[in-house]
Amino acid sequence: MNILLVLIPVTALVVAVGVALFFWAVNHQQFDDLDTPGILPLLDEPAPDATPAAAKDTTSKP
Amino acid sequence: MNAHAVWGHPLLLAQVLRPRRDGRSEVALRVDALGEPRRALALEQAIRALPGVQRVAILPAARRLRVVWDPHRLSLDALVERCAAMQCPAQPLPHDDVDDTRAAELHDALKRLLVAGMCMMQVMAYALVIYIGAVDFVDFTTRGLFRWLGLVTTIPLVVYSAQPFFAAAVRELRGRRLGIHLPVALAVALVFLASAYNTLRGSGEIYFDSVSMFVFLLLTSRYVELRARHHGNAQGDAAIDAAPLLAQRRRDDGALETVPALALRAGDRVHVAEGDAVPADGVLESASARVDEALLTGESQPVLRRCGDALVAGSVLLDGPVTLRVERSGEATAVARIGALAARARLARSLATDGDRDIARFVARVLLLTALTALAWLLVDPARAFDAALAVLVVACPCAFALTAPAAFTRALTVLARHGVLVTDNAALTRLARVDTALFDKTGTLGVPRLDLAAIEPLRGESREEVLALAAALARQSSHPLARALADAASQLGPARQAERVEAVAGAGLRGTLDGRELRLGRADFALGHVLAPERQRDALLLADADGAIAAFRLAERPRRDAQATLDALRTDGVTPCIASGDAPERVAALAGMLGIADWRARQSPDDKLARLRELHTQGHVVLAVGDGSNDAPILAGADVSAALAGGTGLAQAQADLLLIGDRLDGLARARAIASEVQHIVAQNRRWSLAYNLCAVPFAALGFVPPWLAGIGMSLSSLAVVLNALRAGRDGGKPRQELRA
Repeated sequence: MNILLVLIPVTALVVAVGVALFFWAVNHQQFDDLDTPGILPLLDEPAPDATPAAAKDTTSKP
Repeated sequence: MNAHAVWGHPLLLAQVLRPRRDGRSEVALRVDALGEPRRALALEQAIRALPGVQRVAILPAARRLRVVWDPHRLSLDALVERCAAMQCPAQPLPHDDVDDTRAAELHDALKRLLVAGMCMMQVMAYALVIYIGAVDFVDFTTRGLFRWLGLVTTIPLVVYSAQPFFAAAVRELRGRRLGIHLPVALAVALVFLASAYNTLRGSGEIYFDSVSMFVFLLLTSRYVELRARHHGNAQGDAAIDAAPLLAQRRRDDGALETVPALALRAGDRVHVAEGDAVPADGVLESASARVDEALLTGESQPVLRRCGDALVAGSVLLDGPVTLRVERSGEATAVARIGALAARARLARSLATDGDRDIARFVARVLLLTALTALAWLLVDPARAFDAALAVLVVACPCAFALTAPAAFTRALTVLARHGVLVTDNAALTRLARVDTALFDKTGTLGVPRLDLAAIEPLRGESREEVLALAAALARQSSHPLARALADAASQLGPARQAERVEAVAGAGLRGTLDGRELRLGRADFALGHVLAPERQRDALLLADADGAIAAFRLAERPRRDAQATLDALRTDGVTPCIASGDAPERVAALAGMLGIADWRARQSPDDKLARLRELHTQGHVVLAVGDGSNDAPILAGADVSAALAGGTGLAQAQADLLLIGDRLDGLARARAIASEVQHIVAQNRRWSLAYNLCAVPFAALGFVPPWLAGIGMSLSSLAVVLNALRAGRDGGKPRQELRA
């Protein structure tokens, strides 16, 4: 059963990484608007390329 | 440069822009087109492509767009111009209206929920090993290890996820109130500490799985409720933003133009009609005026202001019209005060949940029951006292009981806001369910007046157009529906003249001076002074000067488009409609006949209307008053529930519990249906949670319910209650007979 001593810290690490990722997503407004992004693929014309100003921006929504 | 250049003015910018620490600015825009996702996305992409734009966020439910950008690279008017070019007209909102607290609250709740979920899954896995280990292969030392793992994993859950419950419980204790958070916090703390103690000493039961599940399920139901409430608030904001406060600015050439109150600047001269809200702080230029400052100061008596006195934004003009010279408009405080009404509506929607006396009584009983159980078991079998008392505490926790009313009301307000009904007083919804009589004003509420040119009867040989122009010079300055109909009819005739010193006499008419000639427009007895009017002119609207009558106007009236349907719906709902109007008997009878209302009274002054209301009250009726004008304000204030059309005067709106947006009456029938449904659901939920408690508590007290089962039962009952509450208004508030069993 010594493998437990390895596996349990590993699961704890996975959980910690999951929580960290989720916190990042919530802090960056990924969960604020759950309705409009669903329409995005249905739009007729492809979205215009983001300008450099927008591309640099990491905090904006997809 | 363009029509939106006004947004380049620094004073205005100070009102709508919120500077950020990084040098960028943030603005919130009201955009109606956001209701359509396709256009919303196109707009978002177009704005993101503008130079200097850092972030664009769409809030579809609130019809708001928030942009963070660099104002040095792109001016606000260019931004507004770009929106207009996309066929999505945008209106910047005062920055006070924009709060981050809601988003922050939701983010916080979501994070705590997720941490609780993750920890719960881990704890469950460890607990499972212990359960299996008790019968199977895991040896004794490994069991000890898993108990420690359970403790360590539960710590973040109790410390971080359950923290709001502890904070709320401390607040309740400080305020010397008994609320629902106290038993929750007590249960979590007791279970956790007892289990931690048992882990440390290495023997006895541990309940880390129960406590984590308990917290997780409670946070889930809280999150569902929070999301529903925010959605409702956002839709309420959208409805409020849709009717921005407008002001009548007098241009240099004397003509009036309508501008948003936000766009007023110091030195502007503003025309305020009777019954309207004062749009900005300023100095009175007319001789005198009575104003109602109740919304600002709570002082219910009207205050007399003379020429040169200061008028405060947000107060309501009782007589007038007056001219106001704007002194301040840049201050955020003035803008905030203008929104006093809107703020009242917002305040009503942030539900006060913990003031409920029922809950305090309930909690006191739960705590008493827990103590009694512990005491009884200490006498019989001390070893089981802790488990049994804990089970009682958890089972009987009145979460379901406490959640039911806020959840159902929140849901109801959301649905009503979507259908154009703003509720400014929550308690009104409870009273609305008991209403059995509806007292309607006629003109402007049930009927819409309309003037045909053929119905103008000149009495001194002038042409119809001439007399109409004379009458409109007076009528244009009033907000009375009849005056508006006259002004509308005259607006096709060309440039308008303005009468001076126009004064409105409530329930009678208007008087003013045009080219040195004193004119009166209104009821025959008012217009002609003490001269008795000829029989056939008695019921017409008369225009007269010192020499006698000039013309008679016969305004036709047609019922509002949705009046019949609304009245029918109210009747099937058990509400008797009746009319109290200041108008002539023939016209009231005609409209009442068209709408099938048997109980009507004509020629009612505001005092008569109030007397009628008292009469209904003494007969034991619960009365809903519906009106739109300043003369309805007394009965709106006196009725059990009052509703005003948002197109009516500010004074009427200030007194109303319900605001009907979009000039439609049908919201009234919906509001009534939803109010009944909410009452039904709240009663049902309370019976439900009471029955559940009555069944479960005896078993828990006798020690048959382990704490983990109590936790599941309690959390599931909370969740069921919240989900049941969300049923309210699912069908858009159509009257449903079978619900009122």
